Amino acid sequence: MLTTIGIWIAAFLTLSIYSFLYKDNPFYKAAEHIFVGVSAGYWTVYLWFNYALPNLFLPLFRDGNLWYIIPVVVGFMMFAPLIPKVSWLVRIPLTFTMGISMSLFILQIVQGDLLPQLQATFLPLTGIPPFQVFSNILIILGVIFTLIYFYFSKPHKGALGVAAKIGIWFMMVSFGAHFGYTVMARISLLIGRVFFLLHDWLRII
Amino acid sequence: MHFFDRIAKIDRRIIFLLIGLAVIIPLIAPLGLPVDITAPVKSVYDRIEAMPEGSIVVVSIDYDPGSEAELYPATLAFLDHCFRKNHKVYMMGLWAPGITLGNIAFQEIAPKYNKEYGIDYINVGYKPGGAVMLLTLGRNVADVVATDYQGLPIDSFPLGRMVKNSRDMDLVMTFSAGDPGILHWIIYFNARFGTPIAGATTAISAPRQYPYLSSGQLLGLLGGLKGAAEYETLVGRVDRATAGMDSQSIAHVVIVLFIIMGNIILVWEHRRKK
Repeated sequence: MLTTIGIWIAAFLTLSIYSFLYKDNPFYKAAEHIFVGVSAGYWTVYLWFNYALPNLFLPLFRDGNLWYIIPVVVGFMMFAPLIPKVSWLVRIPLTFTMGISMSLFILQIVQGDLLPQLQATFLPLTGIPPFQVFSNILIILGVIFTLIYFYFSKPHKGALGVAAKIGIWFMMVSFGAHFGYTVMARISLLIGRVFFLLHDWLRII
Repeated sequence: MHFFDRIAKIDRRIIFLLIGLAVIIPLIAPLGLPVDITAPVKSVYDRIEAMPEGSIVVVSIDYDPGSEAELYPATLAFLDHCFRKNHKVYMMGLWAPGITLGNIAFQEIAPKYNKEYGIDYINVGYKPGGAVMLLTLGRNVADVVATDYQGLPIDSFPLGRMVKNSRDMDLVMTFSAGDPGILHWIIYFNARFGTPIAGATTAISAPRQYPYLSSGQLLGLLGGLKGAAEYETLVGRVDRATAGMDSQSIAHVVIVLFIIMGNIILVWEHRRKK
């Protein structure tokens, strides 16, 4: 029974949202406001139970671990700009966050992203099928020409200009692929909703 | 008024209607268009097939209901395959709402193969912290996972006791809709611990993953609903992704026709002005 009510509410809200395609109307506005309100409530509860409670309140008040007072104080310093006299205090949590992020992420991004991707452009051109050779050449040239486009220390004229233009073409192909996938994603979402309406709600498929 | 003028001024609602019909009609009357299998999807399938029975697959549900249409069918097909091959599924999530979706998927697939919670599969819940959490997880799971999603001690489950660090994980499969997600698993987890990573992503983020496929950092990829349909075909499970492929193809044809028509009209208008 509860599931049926849920399906009917979901179907009504889905149709209300899609009604905007015809024109703006009260049903759309109501559905939009419900979505915003429910999301805010949902995330408040989730953040409390998944962040604040297990990571701060339980260790501090249940287990009596007083070390947790330090992050509380540093966390409250993020609100310091609200009081102009002590607004400089915000620098402490910000520098702490930046320091941790820099040390952790720069190292890992170099190790996990930059170097393996660079290594992946060192591709063989012999001893492999002809199409693979062509594909590898395309990857190598694509990387070189695209990088040349982002070289701004000299004007893009002459050979450098031609190379930069080829780089633009490579990027255009990439943007086209991204756009194609974006269209596919949006249609997939529509299919998902239509499938729900026809299968779960109307039960005609 | 010239025909092209009329088309150029067409009410946008007619376009919406045509796209809607292109999606609805093939769902009601399927055409049965073939689903071609691509190498990145086959690669995931082959890995699951090749792993010995009882291998531990970490399934990370890194999406929310907004991406359910694309990623939930892939989740179902993948879990079906894992249970059929008698692998153990260790589920977690970098996105909070994903845990509920993961549980619904378990409820749908596990009874089919008589799989038992805590022995054959487990859900350890939402794990906040992104990169820092993943680096800790790979080193020592106990530092991140103390309980399952219900708050029961992880050591009370046989499968919970089996996974102590990244060396106990034979494969990580992430169903990812954004950040944190597949990139975190590749850049932080795979790079630091070497655990093979495969993924299913929304179509919109699939092109971003291809460099990692060609570098070998990503084992395989299910891109969007199409990837899910391919996996369904491979595991012989005709479900919602396969059902949606006819609609997807027809809607794409309609959109391509509109793009071509729009460009023809643009060229025609330019020539007329000259």
